Amino acid sequence: MASSASRSGPGLAAVLAPYGFVLLPVGYLAIFMFGPLVRQLWMSLTNAKLINPGQGDFVGLANYQRLFADPQFYNSLSVTLVYTLLSVVLGVSMGVVSALAIDRPFRFRPVARAILLFGWAVPNVAATLIWLWMFNDRSGVFNTITQNLGLGRFAWLSNMDLALWSVLAVTVWQVAPFVMLVVLAALQSVPEEVREAAKVDGADGLNIFRIVTFPHIRPAVQLVTLLVAVWSIRRFEVIYLLTGGGPLNSTTTLVIRLRRVAFENYDLGMAGAYGAVGLTLALLVAAIHFFIEQRRNKGMSR
Amino acid sequence: MTRKQAVLRALRYLFIGVLVCIAGFPIYWMATTALSSNAEIFGAGQVPYPQMQHLPALAEELAKVPIALWLFNSTVIAGGTTLLSLLMGSLLGYALSRFRFHGHGFVGFLLFMTQVLPEALILVPLYAMFISLGLLNSLTGLILANVGFSLPVAAFILKNAMDGIPHEIEESAQIDGCPRIAILTMILLPLIAPSAAAAAVICFFAGWNEFLFAMTFISDRSLWPASVGLASFIGQYETPMSAVMGAALVFSVPAIVFFLLVQRKIVAGLTHGAVKG
Repeated sequence: MASSASRSGPGLAAVLAPYGFVLLPVGYLAIFMFGPLVRQLWMSLTNAKLINPGQGDFVGLANYQRLFADPQFYNSLSVTLVYTLLSVVLGVSMGVVSALAIDRPFRFRPVARAILLFGWAVPNVAATLIWLWMFNDRSGVFNTITQNLGLGRFAWLSNMDLALWSVLAVTVWQVAPFVMLVVLAALQSVPEEVREAAKVDGADGLNIFRIVTFPHIRPAVQLVTLLVAVWSIRRFEVIYLLTGGGPLNSTTTLVIRLRRVAFENYDLGMAGAYGAVGLTLALLVAAIHFFIEQRRNKGMSR
Repeated sequence: MTRKQAVLRALRYLFIGVLVCIAGFPIYWMATTALSSNAEIFGAGQVPYPQMQHLPALAEELAKVPIALWLFNSTVIAGGTTLLSLLMGSLLGYALSRFRFHGHGFVGFLLFMTQVLPEALILVPLYAMFISLGLLNSLTGLILANVGFSLPVAAFILKNAMDGIPHEIEESAQIDGCPRIAILTMILLPLIAPSAAAAAVICFFAGWNEFLFAMTFISDRSLWPASVGLASFIGQYETPMSAVMGAALVFSVPAIVFFLLVQRKIVAGLTHGAVKG
């Protein structure tokens, strides 16, 4: 408590002081963030159209009934889940491996570290432009390479079996550097002596990682796993600009679908229902994270 | 050094080399494409390294697109977002760091929610709200929308940084009757300047990079930020690929430079508690 200045215990001014600081920012978030969120969830219970968003009539759960009867919904849900799972698995493992590779000092380490961070630092739209160009069917560098290797040419972004993997490649390029950065910071807390001792005792690299290193970086890995999962559920522009959700909706995630339903079908009620599902999904991921965190903390204090 | 060690070391360097090539290649290719000619790209085959002799041609092509105007708009949006986010973020960060009050946990939860929430979710209500407020097609509206997402990040980073400053430093000032707002601005903020800089970089480039709101709210081409302007190149063949890549490079370089400068502070600020850097 920092309210020690007043002699007669915390006066009214001291009690109110924190709210004075909180008022403006929280009021702001209420107007521009949570108000719209509540309104979006409310819209899912109305038949509002984009032409006059405020004029919808209450229709109960009709939008959700339509949603759960719509094959497009199940498609976008499964694309979201697959995309999220794969970007977590690939992004986090690539990030951890990169961090372990450049953890110890070597000659060009600062340069290597900087280059490894490019994907994280480049703006989404610029990243999309260069990858679109590299994926280009006719003149893209990937097809030049695969053709010279005798593998033939690929429709990286318009082949149903390939498109999601191409989007994932871009995602991993963007996400793995951030994972690496966080894990690198965590690796600094691994005591070198313990690592050396394990080595003297004859532990091989993999065992050292499992027994000595991993417990130290575990909280960091868990945190970035949460972040990467949440970002994947949210990610819009990269997918929208690379494939637009195609081919044949094979990369249409919930947020891509949401925008299309709202701004192409003008169906705000249905878009609201999609939003509610997306929010539930993100909250679920966060809840799992907090659950694991709490159990671990309990386990430690025992 | 034994033979086995030497081999392992060589393998490690090889592995790092491969990683660096993969991570760096897209940017290398961006520069290479920017500095090549249309004839090479679509005819004879692209030369796999940047050719400086194409620089004047690139400058000429870039002059034909309103890249300077787009970057100006992006700067206005990013600057406004940063200013408002830091202003309100430092108030909120201070309250969360220095007071225990009813609703403390709830405010923390709200901040967390903003990071989980997909932007697409509040897109339509904001759109409706901006129609009635006359903020559609305005940079101000865009700034107001962006701040909702970057203010919590700024608050979180600043709170974590303030947590690391001992209370004694402010207490003597407080006894002398110095108002809290002055303590925050004159004593605390200068002490956490590096973290504040990291927060500023995050907010600035959140505004700089933002695309979904800008694409949806701004229809007037002269108000387009660079993110929307660059995206408009997709699927149009008027602008040569070299100019597209040149513009993308110009748009990316500031982000790369600043993120690399404050990378360590960003990690420390965002992962406080989970990672002891």
